[in-house]
Amino acid sequence: MGPLAPNGIISENTNFLLAFFIGIAFGWVLESSGFSSSRKLAGIFYGYDTVVLKVFFTGAITCMLGLLFMSLFGWVDLDLIYVNPTYLTSAIIGGVVMGAGFIMGGFCPGTSFCGAAIGKIDGMVFVAGLFIGVYGFAFTYPLWEKMYMARYLGEPKVSEKLGMSDGLFGLLLIIAAIGMFAVAEWAERKFPREEY
Amino acid sequence: MKPLRLLALFVIPLGIIIAAVPPDRVKHFRLTADELLQEAGAGVQFVSPDVVADMLVQKDPSLRLIDVRTPEEFDAYHMEGAINIPLSSLLSDEYTDILHQDAYMNVLYSNGSVYANQAWMITRQLGYENNFVLEGGLNYWFGNILSPQAPSQTSPNEEFAKYDFRKSAAAALGGGNIVATEGGATAVKAVKPPVASKAKKKPSGGC
Repeated sequence: MGPLAPNGIISENTNFLLAFFIGIAFGWVLESSGFSSSRKLAGIFYGYDTVVLKVFFTGAITCMLGLLFMSLFGWVDLDLIYVNPTYLTSAIIGGVVMGAGFIMGGFCPGTSFCGAAIGKIDGMVFVAGLFIGVYGFAFTYPLWEKMYMARYLGEPKVSEKLGMSDGLFGLLLIIAAIGMFAVAEWAERKFPREEY
Repeated sequence: MKPLRLLALFVIPLGIIIAAVPPDRVKHFRLTADELLQEAGAGVQFVSPDVVADMLVQKDPSLRLIDVRTPEEFDAYHMEGAINIPLSSLLSDEYTDILHQDAYMNVLYSNGSVYANQAWMITRQLGYENNFVLEGGLNYWFGNILSPQAPSQTSPNEEFAKYDFRKSAAAALGGGNIVATEGGATAVKAVKPPVASKAKKKPSGGC
């Protein structure tokens, strides 16, 4: 029964090997969906292209449904799945920094590697900036530590906070996603842009 | 619009199914390792033999003694009114409603407290409550409750109070005769409280 690595069904090294192949597949899908174009990516903020929203939300609800059904069939123990712990302050600030960087740079971290891999100079510059940011944060960590660790919430789930079952929250999320997709497609018709 | 409609047709029914089925089908263990460690570290599972002796003397109907040793050991000796759930068959379905309930105070015991503790850990991880471990196990029970040792003259008064209680409990519980010679102690055997009520006898596996 899954998850495979925590239950010792596959070793940690096999896990990394699988992650390597999944990473390659992920990059390939990103590139072939056009995610290595910063204009396409930035389109989500202007409404002319919402493929980012659609791809990532479809990915999220597919994954969610997969996990919930695998849990239902007894194939995976959801309690053993790693969930990022929530530090509310740094989550909000990090989200703002990431969003601002996304609009300005036209890439998010993953897609910048995607762009750099097919030889896009803006992608490479973005990756360089990403490393500057990572090292800058790491070397000045003591300055941020207090804020970084502030308002620790553990590993909360929205469904738990709302007091509903995971399945019901999943259904609501799916309906919300479909609604967002409809709005997104409406926006694409409303704010068309010819060449990008 | 076509792909969106296709997606909606596919995922919404799946969402409805997942919302309708009972959750947590896989979640066998209700307590995380951290929570269990905390409980085990604090020793919340232990119940003092004096408390058990008192409940037995009072014929407290909520007490249920569970012997987790093998059926052979159980047949050789078991505490009055105890039922036998061998550790090896702890997870068998027939015992689930004995271990997973909120009416009785289940006190698990073995010779020492290791096996009883293991049984407690498993039931606790499954999220069962009201299961406890007899501190010290049968060995301590024999050595200190059924045949209490008189404290030394310099002991504090509490020790003497405990000794007095244990002596009278031992008499009421038919103790003493194990180490004492046939004589005075056996006379009180008739006082043995019939702790085993019908409800407790019913699920007794193995005896």
